[in-house]
Amino acid sequence: MNELLIAENISYIAANQGLFSRNEPDKEILNNISFQLEKGRILGIAGESGSGKTTLAKILAGIIPYSSGKLTFNWPPEWQKSKISPVQILFQNNGEILNPFRVIDEIIEEAIYIKTGEKKNIREEKEKIFDSVNFPEHLWNRKGFELSGGEQQRAALARIIAVKPELLILDEPFSAQDADSQLNLLNLFKEINSVYGITLICISHNVNILKKLCDEIIIIYKGEIVEKGTAEKIFSQPEHPYTKFLMKAESYELSYKDLKAEFENL
Amino acid sequence: MLKVDIKELSITGKRALLSGINFEMKQNRIHTVLGLNGSGKTTLIKSLTGLLNAHFYSVTGSVFFEGRDILSLDINEMYPLRRDKIKYVFQDAVNSFNQLKTFEYYFNSLAKDKEEINSLLSYFILPQYSELSRLYPYEVSGGMAQRISLVLALAAHPEIIILDEPTSGIDSAISNLFLLKLKEFVSQGKNSVLLVTHDINFAEKISDEIAFLSDGRLSKFYSKKELFAYPDVPLSEGNNDKQDGPEGSDSLRKLIHSYKQISL
Repeated sequence: MNELLIAENISYIAANQGLFSRNEPDKEILNNISFQLEKGRILGIAGESGSGKTTLAKILAGIIPYSSGKLTFNWPPEWQKSKISPVQILFQNNGEILNPFRVIDEIIEEAIYIKTGEKKNIREEKEKIFDSVNFPEHLWNRKGFELSGGEQQRAALARIIAVKPELLILDEPFSAQDADSQLNLLNLFKEINSVYGITLICISHNVNILKKLCDEIIIIYKGEIVEKGTAEKIFSQPEHPYTKFLMKAESYELSYKDLKAEFENL
Repeated sequence: MLKVDIKELSITGKRALLSGINFEMKQNRIHTVLGLNGSGKTTLIKSLTGLLNAHFYSVTGSVFFEGRDILSLDINEMYPLRRDKIKYVFQDAVNSFNQLKTFEYYFNSLAKDKEEINSLLSYFILPQYSELSRLYPYEVSGGMAQRISLVLALAAHPEIIILDEPTSGIDSAISNLFLLKLKEFVSQGKNSVLLVTHDINFAEKISDEIAFLSDGRLSKFYSKKELFAYPDVPLSEGNNDKQDGPEGSDSLRKLIHSYKQISL
């Protein structure tokens, strides 16, 4: 079987048991999410803010538990005794992944050492990784806080590639980037996928970019999957009204009537 | 309309941030300045009505509006201009309000017609006057504050609206709403809009005229058609850009090239 991941009827309910929210009802964030992901593929998850995209990412990465359903991973056997998680996430705010006061070079060497358990070929491996994320040598000895946002993101990516995860989840990697950097990132992700064989899940509200990156796309609306299919099919023949709305909104083709109807629906 | 000729803008005694900024805004047009992060877009728009702190920044040049150089006006002449004629919508909208005053203060001081405000509020899917006027700026989200800021700008019936990164922090449906309203605004009277952004997709959809800011210099304003039909010539040192004028046209061409590759 080639499925790396099978999600069956995953639901997530945020219980309102906090000090200040005792009287509010529990809130359903995700409802009956089911999909499969084959090894080596790139899956896109699209939806607007508040649709539950990031919650789903966190569940897949094991950061938060799901309320009901079944999540099956088929990791290769070498991961069984590994201390590292086979799932890694590249978060939106990269500054928070990297220790701002540590030298990037050391962070990467350490990650390679943790993964391989030996110090022999670290330099070679490190050069290869820095090279594959376009992280130039004059930045290797900088600390996290001395890097720009884009450089931090590439350093964070290098740190992730160093442990060679099976599955890499990208959470809104393109937001706050200009077109040049977006294109660079796009090519970078494709390369990580093909060179290292890492399966990718990319979460974004930008459906246009997902079209360029992904094999398959899932559209999430109010915590439910409203449409899934190959990128090609979703873009040439979108079926669900929300998919159509999302695509029109992105190309700024919505009339006031369309917008008003959508907002009243929310 | 606004005729800008900023010879040099610098942090006093230090390096120049912007130089040779020359352009004239046309009526009934939406002008966009595209630029990457840190290129000086916000500094540029703030300099136009003397919003930069004079202790730290020095500006030489002129900005003509209605026959007067507004950079040479004293503060008492400048206030009415900023209140009635040239309105801003800042990126950090929440903090552009006084946090100790409810929105009622702003509604009352900037525009008095409650019905007009209500209809603008409902256009932007915001709560009505009676509800909003009780709230303090820190009680609304960033996206809401941005919309309220635009409502207040529109309600003042200015001639010029200047927006800083209007699409940051809001999703595309709300950006779409901004686009429709701003297009309506510039279709009336002598109105015009100046906006600065790094969002090339939004720039393409909303603008009539687009210029590029890079390394402290501004290219000329191109019509949208001219720019997006720009030939996709591979970038090499051999290309002689200087003769079509713009500084930074290489970077602009590269940006548009990347954009086309992503979005087509």
